[in-house]
Amino acid sequence: MFALGTVARVKARPRRRTWSWAVILVGAFLSVIMGCRPGGNAIKLAHIYDPLSAPSARANCEWIERVLQRYREMHPDVEISIEQFKWDQIDAKLMTDYRAGASHDLAWTSPQWMAKHFDEGDLLDVSPLLNWSAQETADFSWSPAWKTAEREGKVIGVPNGVHTRVVCFRRDYFEEAGLDPDNPPQTLDEILEAAVKLTRQEEGEDVWGLGVYCGRERGTIELAFAPLLWHYGGELWDETTGRAIFASEAGVKAARFLYDLMHKHKVCPTWCATGTYDDDLLEPFLNGRMAMVWGWGSYWIEILEQKGWIQGLFPPTPDGKTVVADVFVTPTIPQAQFTNAWLMSVHAISKRPQDAANLLDFLVQPEQLIDFPDAGLPARRSMWDRPEYQTQFYRRWRRAAERGRSMPATPHYNELADGIAAAIQEILLQDADAAKTLKRAEDEYNARFAQL
Amino acid sequence: MRGSLSFSSQRNFAATLLLLPALALLIGLLLYPLVLGIRSAFEMTGADGATKFVGGRLFSVLAHEPRFLADVLRSVVYVVGNVGISFVLGYGAALVITRPVRAAGIVRATIIIPWITPPVVSAVLFRSMVDPSKGPASHVVQYFLGSGFMILGNAQSAMATVIVHSVWRSFPFIMLMIAAGIAAIPNELYESAAVEGCGAFRRFRYITLPLTKLHCAIVLLIVTMWTIQDAEGVYALTSGGPGYSTEVVALRLFRESFLNFDLHIAAAVGVVLLLISGVFAALYLSLVGGKRVEL
Repeated sequence: MFALGTVARVKARPRRRTWSWAVILVGAFLSVIMGCRPGGNAIKLAHIYDPLSAPSARANCEWIERVLQRYREMHPDVEISIEQFKWDQIDAKLMTDYRAGASHDLAWTSPQWMAKHFDEGDLLDVSPLLNWSAQETADFSWSPAWKTAEREGKVIGVPNGVHTRVVCFRRDYFEEAGLDPDNPPQTLDEILEAAVKLTRQEEGEDVWGLGVYCGRERGTIELAFAPLLWHYGGELWDETTGRAIFASEAGVKAARFLYDLMHKHKVCPTWCATGTYDDDLLEPFLNGRMAMVWGWGSYWIEILEQKGWIQGLFPPTPDGKTVVADVFVTPTIPQAQFTNAWLMSVHAISKRPQDAANLLDFLVQPEQLIDFPDAGLPARRSMWDRPEYQTQFYRRWRRAAERGRSMPATPHYNELADGIAAAIQEILLQDADAAKTLKRAEDEYNARFAQL
Repeated sequence: MRGSLSFSSQRNFAATLLLLPALALLIGLLLYPLVLGIRSAFEMTGADGATKFVGGRLFSVLAHEPRFLADVLRSVVYVVGNVGISFVLGYGAALVITRPVRAAGIVRATIIIPWITPPVVSAVLFRSMVDPSKGPASHVVQYFLGSGFMILGNAQSAMATVIVHSVWRSFPFIMLMIAAGIAAIPNELYESAAVEGCGAFRRFRYITLPLTKLHCAIVLLIVTMWTIQDAEGVYALTSGGPGYSTEVVALRLFRESFLNFDLHIAAAVGVVLLLISGVFAALYLSLVGGKRVEL
């Protein structure tokens, strides 16, 4: 009996195993199917903020949650699902998915990619969906970012803010160096002179006079090289011929200015050419290791408020004031300053384009954008007239935005930016000849794209 | 005789039939996309969105581009550097951990940590170690070479860092595979050799090395393929810089396809990568020499 029972148990065991395996397999299959299910009937909102990457990104995620909660309260029948992509890959992702037939609804897009989006046709013209009045359209159309998204009456992106750059500086360091923080530099010579005075090389307490980002990201072209090139009278790209033209005399002057900051005047650390934008500028400035930062973005205003270096300026209030940090307009000539913004676009194969456009319309209302950290500055011109934007701090930001321009409308902007960043790194870190290196990068770009 | 042939043919036919689904999957999931990818390398999309056949124009563009030729050269340096160093280290470590030493289990478990760490995570760790202002490795290097020296700011030291990072990740895998080979060698062979008066080096030269030849070939092939295709580790560590000094072909492929969305040129780069992989694969397979190694 005992023996029979044992046999029965032994025989039953594999059967149970088979069943458990079957359950596991079916469970796994269902999980995959459910995982692949594209949020059912929900509107898919694709953004670029990784909540695990940095506090600023977390703040933007929280803003998205807040405004979506308001939207859901107003439209309880609408379901919204969130997608998140890397900021420098979201545009390519939308194009790839468009070709593959995988749809999104509303997505963050970059002005620098608009020319390529127009070629690819992966974004919808939102003007008939939004149906805005001329006045409402004009409220946005002043922005350089809007202009990149508009072609032959079609609009494929609406800016949700203004990203422009200024020079951010420490008022206390200015005073210590005998400089007047209320009269900041206005020319390149003046900023260089101030940077020399502000640079302190003491044991264990290095303070660099001026930080300029020149690393491997596209920030190098946008924040450093292009503004200087434009200042010296050059251009990056010729729209009529489609040729890169940055290796001009102006380009060489721009590269030499950057080289001299690091190697001749020694006011900018050479490690500004090795890391990331955040690591090389934001962090050292917040840690007191830089007196001035060239290329401080409007998306970093909130961080200054959190640090207590400005008060009542984010969200803006009429009584806002600068305490430890302040800003001044980049001392290049007018229209020699990069200004852009994140745009919001509707995917061309969206299954709910009208709902996506309605959500877009909701998100860019002033009451939503007012506390959006990554908006930086108001995308709507009418918002600039509010009392909270009349402080000197915001007047300087407005002046910077109005002096701004966008990057050239080449569909191969990424390659242009990449080639220039690599060339600038070689010039700054490997002492490569500026004229030859820029020319080589220009030739490489033109060989591939100018004749296409 | 005739009956047996017929039986054999029937068995072959049945075997072929049974293989058909797998063959169909192979063609559908591997060959078809591969052919599409290769075809894409001979096409271009114009501003009007139309795709047209352009022959070998994209390959010609790449062949005339100093940057790409340097990418290919750097890929070879990267593979030779990583595989060479990690193989020697891995083989040495395998010889150590297969001996009856104390705490071998702990050593084995500890050593495989780099291998199981995701490449992006390990690259970020390395990056923080060589950070010019606060990285401990930078402080050591700057002590000898001067305070201005930046590991990732110099072409040679940046490439060396990329190789060291890859070695750190690869050698535990090599160690495990070779150790498995060494453990499978019968002890009697070593005992006989000892009786014959063979020293440690001769035992290694005439027993261990020949009997792990197959493991070596397999492991070299696998690590070479990993290294050739490694884009994420290099990208997370140096982004290909300074300049293009650490840009390898796989990184170029990643950049063209996922950052620039230039799918046709990416396909052409992919074809070149495939050819390089093929050359290395042929080299390693020739190591085994087509002979069956009996263990």
